[in-house]
Amino acid sequence: MAFKRDFSLDENTYRHYLNGHPVVMHSHHYLALITKLAEDLAAVDGPQILADAVEDSMRPIFEDFFDKNDISALKDKSAVCTEYFSTFGLGKIAINGNEHSGEAQLSRSHLDEGWLMKWGEHDKPINHFTRGYVAAVFAALFGHPPRSYTVTETAAMVTGEDQSVFVVKKA
Amino acid sequence: MTVMRNDVVKALAKVTVQSDEHGLIPEYEVLVNLLPVSLLNTVTERLLAAAPERQEEIEAGLIRAAYECGYHTGCGIITSEIFNEVVMPMVTEGEKDILRGAYAAFTAWGWAKSGIVQLKEGQRMIIRAFDYYEADNQEGGLRAYMLRGLNQAFFDLAYADPYPDGMNTFVCKQTKGIEAGDAYGEFVVTKK
Repeated sequence: MAFKRDFSLDENTYRHYLNGHPVVMHSHHYLALITKLAEDLAAVDGPQILADAVEDSMRPIFEDFFDKNDISALKDKSAVCTEYFSTFGLGKIAINGNEHSGEAQLSRSHLDEGWLMKWGEHDKPINHFTRGYVAAVFAALFGHPPRSYTVTETAAMVTGEDQSVFVVKKA
Repeated sequence: MTVMRNDVVKALAKVTVQSDEHGLIPEYEVLVNLLPVSLLNTVTERLLAAAPERQEEIEAGLIRAAYECGYHTGCGIITSEIFNEVVMPMVTEGEKDILRGAYAAFTAWGWAKSGIVQLKEGQRMIIRAFDYYEADNQEGGLRAYMLRGLNQAFFDLAYADPYPDGMNTFVCKQTKGIEAGDAYGEFVVTKK
């Protein structure tokens, strides 16, 4: 399965599209500060709100790609999701597992490396963005409704680990 | 010659950023990401909805995220090879032209189809935007936090102390918004 990156431009509005979905450039400063804002809103579950927003926004993009490209094999679907992660500039992700549980590992991470460049190490994992992303991947792969998977970041580059690890469990 | 906006927009719009073998996009002295606008708008709306009593703090956080992104990335953009190649040969009016070039980049790279409608150098600027992704958020009033942060950042880069010492010199207020039913978004940058 070859992943396609179809970049296009609306010449009237100058909005940019990736595989038919509008996308826009920001930097690690933006994502780090949005994550920090979510952390500051911990009293109202800010980190989970961020993760859920990512889950709900990414899943339709994966499923749209599966539908338009007739992708049905699990390994091909999984490859699409890992390729999308890198295409968004989010880093390098490896995803393994089955319908009940799994794991995702980040060997490179836009958010963690950006956070480290901006503020240095932190005392706990902060990659709620990827937690939501991984939840979207598992729900899309196995056809379950949103919030079907609990994703926990058990190791993180921002705390000094070489890789970030996310453990996935069916809720 | 001054900056020929349409030529710059057309030239810069052709530039696409693509990730390297590590899945990262190191460009303009930062790590770039290329995210779905639906996601960015959803995050904004849900954070605001989660704590209406903390609206001011959340809005300030959203503006700050865009501001720091714009200040650091903006500096990378106006010193980049592509800006140097496309915009700088047209610059005859110093900061004013660099700012015009920056707003052409704003348009070309999909942040906002926008331009300067009034500029009092070093003091005040009015921007109008006829399309921007935050206009898709039509759930309650003026919502262009990203544009407020970016406008402030670009004016700081043009007229405050040289990078990186000029942060927080100017402030941007949104006075109109497509998301609030206006024909365009309007932003006023003034000294803090």
